[in-house]
Amino acid sequence: MKLGTKLTLFNTISKLVIVVLFVLLLPTLIRDINQNYTDNWLRKQKDKVLQIVKGPGIKNYIQNGEGYGSYNALLKEEYVSLDVDSSGENINTIKNEKRLVEGDTIQYRILSHTFTVGKQSYLLEIGKSVDTINETAVPLQSIAFEILLGMVLLTILADQVYSTYVLRPLGLIIRTKLIGHKFPNHAQYKKVRTNTSDFEYLDISIHKMIQTIESTFQKEREFISNASHELMTPISILQSKIENMFEQEDIADDVKVRLLEMQKILNRLKSITKTLLLISQIENDQFLKEDNIQVAELIQEVYDEISIRLQEKSIHCEIAIPPDWYLMKVNKFLLFNLFFNLINNAIKYNKEGGEIYITGAVESKLFIVQITDTGIGIPPERLPHIFNRFKKFSQSLQQDSFGLGLPIVRSIADFHRIGIETNSEPGVGTTFKLIFPVTIIGQKGGI
Amino acid sequence: MNVLIVEDEKALTAELEIFLINCSYVCDVCFDGRSASEKIATNLYDFILIDLGLPDYEGLDLLKEAKKYNPEATCIILTARAEVNDRIKGLDLGADDYLAKPFSLLELQSRMQAITRRKFGLKNSVVPLGEFSIDLTNRTIAHADTLINAITKKEFDLVAYMLLHKNRTLTRSQLSEHIWGSIVNDDYDSNYIDAHIKNIRKKLSAYGPHDWIETVRGLGYRITTNN
Repeated sequence: MKLGTKLTLFNTISKLVIVVLFVLLLPTLIRDINQNYTDNWLRKQKDKVLQIVKGPGIKNYIQNGEGYGSYNALLKEEYVSLDVDSSGENINTIKNEKRLVEGDTIQYRILSHTFTVGKQSYLLEIGKSVDTINETAVPLQSIAFEILLGMVLLTILADQVYSTYVLRPLGLIIRTKLIGHKFPNHAQYKKVRTNTSDFEYLDISIHKMIQTIESTFQKEREFISNASHELMTPISILQSKIENMFEQEDIADDVKVRLLEMQKILNRLKSITKTLLLISQIENDQFLKEDNIQVAELIQEVYDEISIRLQEKSIHCEIAIPPDWYLMKVNKFLLFNLFFNLINNAIKYNKEGGEIYITGAVESKLFIVQITDTGIGIPPERLPHIFNRFKKFSQSLQQDSFGLGLPIVRSIADFHRIGIETNSEPGVGTTFKLIFPVTIIGQKGGI
Repeated sequence: MNVLIVEDEKALTAELEIFLINCSYVCDVCFDGRSASEKIATNLYDFILIDLGLPDYEGLDLLKEAKKYNPEATCIILTARAEVNDRIKGLDLGADDYLAKPFSLLELQSRMQAITRRKFGLKNSVVPLGEFSIDLTNRTIAHADTLINAITKKEFDLVAYMLLHKNRTLTRSQLSEHIWGSIVNDDYDSNYIDAHIKNIRKKLSAYGPHDWIETVRGLGYRITTNN
């Protein structure tokens, strides 16, 4: 899961938990608040009544021991009663009690208070119906709930926006420094703009790591390049010596045969060195990409070069490349070698009298060339390693090569950003699929 | 013809000298740029072979001097520094050809001959071989007046190369280096020369005898001419 999603999810969950807790507590809270408020109100009413009673005197309200009662209107939401108290107890309470008013039993919050005027004690009761008190609770609750929910949604949104903003440098670092990085990279180090020190640290650490890798790569390339160059001169001397000796008339034929064997071995050394040098030159960007070539024409050229090998093994080769497709800004020499090596492999690992199909097609805007053979195939466990240098996957079948054919193919493909997919089934055959990027393909009339 | 060899590898210089003298060239050798520079300024050469990797001199500067004092000379760059830019720079500065080390001596000779042919505009490039005639300019083989169209480009290359080195046995390695030298692949012993020769012979035998292509048992092939 993405970091941004995780943060948002956590924020959402934690806020929801708080909201749920609050909503659960809300009824109790509101009841308490209402009750407090009502109790205060009742006490104030009591003080008012006592004030009133003190003025005109209790006698105005109670005559002949008959109590006074007042209800408000029809709804009986509130009432005040004043009566002679005969119990003699001193009461001062606020309680919930039921009262029978005109045939209705109603639950009231009642303040009871006894007071004495002269020698007579009186009982004052002020009541408010519980229904009236709780009336406000439900709307209050729902309003509180709605506001809360709105606020939570708003903060989640804000969190989401902020975390996206704050995490943006991370995405940028991953995209530009890790995923998009190609070796060798001659581009200058570009700092990722961020004021989050953690990301700055990450950026610098990745940059340092890349520098280390880059310098290791560089050293390897330099080594291969220097070693190959240094080898070229002695090989050249040996080759010239052998050639001159071969020309000499006083050398017997059996010695010449041995010279020939030496020449063959020298050729092997020369091939390996040349191949390594080529790979290192490609990896050092030493080739220009300035050629525009017709795919079908290029493959025909390769075919012409290689037809003698097809003929030797009686292999039938079918080419179906649409003639109107071009490769632009590429290196012809390298692409020739790419196709040569792939087709050469398709011959080398094919059976006597086998087939090779070379097809070209456009699939979702990409130009695809597939080279399929009916050869021995590659076991699945070897498939990931076929592009590794000097990795031979069948010693007995590959006696006259040294396992650099596919590494050349890979280097050339990488150099042109051509994708390679390999499918193989042992005993059935292998398909190499070359995926040409949109940037280097063009159609006749389109360029 | 006079050849100046500028090459700091003495062993290689010696082999070049032996080979070129055998081919009837007159050779002068230098092992460093300074003395080469002097020789170029004072003597006239037909060919100057320059190794770019000289310890004391920038090979490309030497090329400039050669072009200045020996404008008629054919300059061929020999180098182990196979950098693509060097090649372009060298050819831009007027080098006539460029050979990357290691190269076959036969290849060097054929390049030298090709340039001579080009420079002096040798018209008579049709060579008779038995009942056949080989046209090196138009790259065709004819029998009497009939062109043999079945001969492919590769096959003609082989015949022409053997003809250039006529009466000399060419090994399969030398022949395949000539016709497949620019291809980089991982076969070091794939030899399809025999197949090509077989095809050539098959195509020619429809017209007449082709005993001028000889198989030298165990060694290679040779074109023999009487003259």
